[in-house]
Amino acid sequence: MSAAGRVYTFFFQLGQKSKRTKFFFILSLLPVLLAAFLRLQQALTLSRRNITGLFFYSNVVLPFYVQFLLLMLALFYGTSIVLEEVEGRTLPYLAARPLPRTSIILGKYGSSAALALAMIDVGLAASFLVLNAEQLGDLSLDLVLLRDMAVLDLGLLCYLALFAFLGALLKRAVLFGLLFCFGWENVLIYFPGLTQKLAIAHYLKSLIPQPPSSGFAFLRFNLEPSPPLTAVLVLLGLTAVFLGAACLTFSLKEYLFEN
Amino acid sequence: MKAAIQTDKLSKWYGNILGLSEVSLEVRPGITGLLGPNGAGKSTLMKILTGQLRPSLGRALIWGEKIWNNFRLFNRIGYCPEHDSFYEQTTGWQFLTGLLRLFPFSPAEAAGRAERALATVELLSDKDRLIRGYSRGMRQRLKVAQALAHDPDLLILDEPLNGLDPLGKRRIIRLIKDLKNDNKTVLLSSHVLPEVEALTRDIILIHQGKILASGDIHELRDLIDSHPHIIALRCDRPRELAARLVREPFILKVQLGGQPDSLIVETDNRDRFFSLLPELVMDMGLAVDEITSPDDNLQAVFDYLVGK
Repeated sequence: MSAAGRVYTFFFQLGQKSKRTKFFFILSLLPVLLAAFLRLQQALTLSRRNITGLFFYSNVVLPFYVQFLLLMLALFYGTSIVLEEVEGRTLPYLAARPLPRTSIILGKYGSSAALALAMIDVGLAASFLVLNAEQLGDLSLDLVLLRDMAVLDLGLLCYLALFAFLGALLKRAVLFGLLFCFGWENVLIYFPGLTQKLAIAHYLKSLIPQPPSSGFAFLRFNLEPSPPLTAVLVLLGLTAVFLGAACLTFSLKEYLFEN
Repeated sequence: MKAAIQTDKLSKWYGNILGLSEVSLEVRPGITGLLGPNGAGKSTLMKILTGQLRPSLGRALIWGEKIWNNFRLFNRIGYCPEHDSFYEQTTGWQFLTGLLRLFPFSPAEAAGRAERALATVELLSDKDRLIRGYSRGMRQRLKVAQALAHDPDLLILDEPLNGLDPLGKRRIIRLIKDLKNDNKTVLLSSHVLPEVEALTRDIILIHQGKILASGDIHELRDLIDSHPHIIALRCDRPRELAARLVREPFILKVQLGGQPDSLIVETDNRDRFFSLLPELVMDMGLAVDEITSPDDNLQAVFDYLVGK
């Protein structure tokens, strides 16, 4: 097994037991509960509004994952790749093993990605299935789910790499990350023209069709989408660049523990 | 024997703060104690030797190779960090086997090595407990176990006896002494002088980032010419011996001790004193029960060198 693979195995096992994973796993299931509640309401005919499963999925569930959970998972898992070793003072255990420094980043990135992807995909799929239980045989609906999962996965990998880089570079990476997520990403997307292309969210949303206009749609913005292939290539390219930058930073930087 | 560790004018700055200043030393197989007060630069030196920090100036080599980003070296190095930090959500067994798998060892080999290491530090019966439930002494022993589980040729132990109870200290001291018999190189740091004294006579004194002295404790002691050596004797006629000794120019002070048969002598020339003493014993027909040198310990040397 490669050095990165060994690091991946160790930290995937550790990650499964962490409080962070338990918290985010519960959070990722929140839309499933909402979906189940909606279905229950409909079954009991308590709801006066006729909301379809797909409508609720597109306007509530998907925005929750794209605009909130995806960013939070990437932020906390990504920055912790280096920061938890520094703040927890466990870095010496890794530094004194025969492991290239890049393999530590790649292995930990892989284990964080695996855990976060599992949470996103399980939550999204479960919500979708609960909301569209009667139409499971509809291939076009299944493709919607697969497309959305692929887009979320791509976005997660990209954000995770970005925050891995920030975590390797900065002590207060979480603070910068929060500003980035809820400042830069959420504001820039409303800018017209080329400006919105400076946000990662632009490329993600370019891959997800805009939901039908509605009174409580969360995902309304003046998107001037990039072509799908361009969006995918940009996301993959950014992932590679950020991951490379994280590896390079971790290989060159000295980490001091605060006394 | 060839030195395992070599540093040449090694300096480390943290911004404007001096961590190490032109440290040149060699560490050969056996046990070497790195001794100095807190903040002396011991951990900085150890972090450079374990590839966590880069030298600002000078160089540090292990077996002739540079250390920074030279990950292959760590197949043969074991490091016990200073901080009481672990992956707390793991058990002792998971922690140790997990770290061994990073080397890489197969699952079976990692399990075998972990079992031996845990048995060595007497933690085998607690291996399935979560580390967060371990006592301070158990945690310290687990740190030592992870440092030696892969059977390294060089062990770098940063304050390995810190936080241990007397029994725990005895266990670890015995363990480290056994490593010397296996022809390993052990560099350990401490700010507690008797701990180092119990382990080795080869010491490096470090203070404010500088090496004050290094070598055998006796050789170090002899370097300090102007500092009086204190020698305690127990014999049948201490008063007669005292009267004879005060005639010698190299005897600075003679004091009758607390016990009726004891005598404390201060001299600025230990060699002359020890060549004279047998003659006096023969000429005067003295029965000497004990000769000790209470001043000849690390504390005295260290206090003197740092100007206390």
